[in-house]
Amino acid sequence: MEAFNNLMYGFGIALEPMNIAYVFFGVFAGTIIGMLPGLGPISALALMIPITFAMEPASGLILMAGVYYGAIFGGSTSSILLNAPGVAGTVATSFDGYPLAKQGMAGKALAIAAYSSFIGGTVSIIFLMLVAPLLGKVAVSFGPAEYFALMVLGLTAVVSLSDKSLVKGLIAAVVGVMISIIGIDLQTGTERYTFGAAHLLDGIDFLVVALGIFALAEVFYMLLRGGGGKEQPRNAIGSLKLTGRECRDIAAPIGRSSILGFFTGVLPGAGATIGSFLGYSMEKRLAKDGDTFGKGNIKGVAAPEAANNAACTGSFVPLLTLGVPGSGTTAVLLGALLVMGVTPGPAMIESRPDVFWGVIASMYIGNLFLLVLNLPLIPLIAKILDMPRPLLLALILIFCMIGVYGMSFSVFDLLLLLGFGLLGLGMRLFGFPAAPLILALILGAIMEESMRRALQISGGDWSIFIDKPISMWLLIIAVLSLVLPLAKKAIAGVRARA
Amino acid sequence: MTAKLTRLSFLALPLAATMAFGAATAQADDWQPTSSVEFIAPANPGGGWDTLVRTTSRVIQEEGLAERNFAAINTPGGGGAVAWAQIARDDGNPHKIFATSPPIILVPLAGTSRYDHNDFTPIARLITDYSIVLVPADSEYQSLNDLMEAMAADTSLSVGGGSAPGSMDHISIAGLASAAGLNASDVNYIPFSGGGEAMTNLMGGHVEAVITGAGEAAGQLGEGSDIRALGVSAPERLSGSLADVPTYLEQDIDYTFDIWRGVMGTPDMPEEAVAYYENLFAEMLETDGWADARDQLGWLDAYQDSEEFGDFLDAQKEQFSEVLSELGLLGD
Repeated sequence: MEAFNNLMYGFGIALEPMNIAYVFFGVFAGTIIGMLPGLGPISALALMIPITFAMEPASGLILMAGVYYGAIFGGSTSSILLNAPGVAGTVATSFDGYPLAKQGMAGKALAIAAYSSFIGGTVSIIFLMLVAPLLGKVAVSFGPAEYFALMVLGLTAVVSLSDKSLVKGLIAAVVGVMISIIGIDLQTGTERYTFGAAHLLDGIDFLVVALGIFALAEVFYMLLRGGGGKEQPRNAIGSLKLTGRECRDIAAPIGRSSILGFFTGVLPGAGATIGSFLGYSMEKRLAKDGDTFGKGNIKGVAAPEAANNAACTGSFVPLLTLGVPGSGTTAVLLGALLVMGVTPGPAMIESRPDVFWGVIASMYIGNLFLLVLNLPLIPLIAKILDMPRPLLLALILIFCMIGVYGMSFSVFDLLLLLGFGLLGLGMRLFGFPAAPLILALILGAIMEESMRRALQISGGDWSIFIDKPISMWLLIIAVLSLVLPLAKKAIAGVRARA
Repeated sequence: MTAKLTRLSFLALPLAATMAFGAATAQADDWQPTSSVEFIAPANPGGGWDTLVRTTSRVIQEEGLAERNFAAINTPGGGGAVAWAQIARDDGNPHKIFATSPPIILVPLAGTSRYDHNDFTPIARLITDYSIVLVPADSEYQSLNDLMEAMAADTSLSVGGGSAPGSMDHISIAGLASAAGLNASDVNYIPFSGGGEAMTNLMGGHVEAVITGAGEAAGQLGEGSDIRALGVSAPERLSGSLADVPTYLEQDIDYTFDIWRGVMGTPDMPEEAVAYYENLFAEMLETDGWADARDQLGWLDAYQDSEEFGDFLDAQKEQFSEVLSELGLLGD
């Protein structure tokens, strides 16, 4: 009841005409920023700090939060249509979204992405509202040992992500871990794999790799096969409508991924990208038709889209209740709030209820706006596929380059992008899956850092990983998820012989 | 080419320049930017340098202190090294300045930047923050000396910080330990990727103590908080929510540590441009808009002009080198 009263108070703030305008402007700008590959919410928010300075803190945060979740919402569009992830959180969406688009079901994939994002966002707002004050404890319960165990669990997905050859999947994963190591090692301050290049000191940005290996490699691959008219025409957008069966199929994955995504978002440092990968690999393992994941399974779009939007909302928990940012984007939000004179932290819910509840209520409105805004736009945006092939390829190339250059203003990163494009092309030609590389790249760095940090705290004693209950259970689940499929196979083999 | 000429005329051949370019000298006392000024944050949006650049540019603009626009530009990479390498190539350019803080000394000392503070022109030190030592609210350590004794008895006692080994937080705690009679290298320093992450790990009980910036911790302290402060590295007590936190000096440990931030310019920036920026920032520090922003961000004014700032940087380099060599982290 109290939550309801608080929410009504929040809506009172969020429904002020100016605030409705801010939400609308925020999610609209966010959607556009999200669609452009490479251009992420961080730089957009940093640019907005001067604009929000003069605003009421609640209005400023409403606007900026809208940009953030709008970008995650919009990022799926370019993942699905161009295989060029718009933001890091939507990389997993391209695994099945792009194959669907190639099969002439772009409309359906985009619609599923929009519905899943909406549900994922809304479910996690409800969680945020009901349990945020309690979740501060959950967020801090994860220390280095627990993060290590979580990343190990995440990495076991490599097995399910490498479709044909497990060995090739593992090779790709090792390369991913190696790329994640490049740069100054936080634990010792030593440079690794930088070859003295100052540009490599901070490591390689995840999006440079993702855009190269997915989008650019796709462009090269199409070029290699010639402009060929043999292929089926791509200009079919297909219907936006889902059948009753399809709705039933994706309902459970959306529900599960929303919850998983929310809790991943709550953990500082995990966030939308890891959430979407965990959601994707969880559904792939649970699904009876798991082997069609990666070839255009609608569940493979629904799961990561629900998870990344849920995680985006979840990442507001540590920001608003503890005052610590869990990601680069929320760090910018924290900075903006401080400038506006609000100090987020345990006391904020009492001292500035207008900010806390106003923002939560505005998220409901924002998610609704996003759905209403995006659905009618789908046929228009999907028209991009009608473009003649040469134009489309050139467009993808330009988008990727602008995106990468816009992140760092560095020509060096453009060369890296090209290099990863060629690597991605080679991987496709020789049958190496790209998803394990990307997964290992995201998880590898945190896994290594957490492991060494945990061992440094324990004085080199490995039992720290099983002494802590959360870490122990995560490791047990990781082992089971590796052993069970093998055991199943073995049992089936014995039965077949008997 | 123009930049080169300007430098030549003002530094190498002042007399000849006066004769040849009489008009230029007349302007010299009153130089103004002739195009918009690039104000570089050598890092991604969101960090300390970025906040400084964006806040000062905004105040300068809102208070109408400069004719020309100050454009905030992020050049991330190498903990600053990428931006410094770019700026170092632009010598004499009077329209390019950048935000700076201890890494301009620490990163070169660690051996990962070819350029250090001597390669650039000091303009002004603006603000400072201090280090703060935190423990969980229910910790057995009641004073800094309790913690130091425990650290001396058990060198595996974990102290988290928000930056890599050999950078600010580590130098700060190692110097403190050294001043308290311990070996600097006896600190089991656990680096996290930011002060926020270090503090969440403290709240979760994953590390026993944390050292971070006082401004960053201020919002976390107070009634009902999960963490407690044992000391600040300031010479005198701070104000606001930090007024109850004793200094190191009060606890008989003779040590202070500044996390200063300031502005530097391109190598050999013309003197009158330096004078212009010096005055501009000094003026900015007097405005109400600045006072508001500064208080909200937990910063303290610590203005030094170009010359004082230069001497200060040299002294800092000496102090940091000592601690780093004690830690065995001095690069080549």
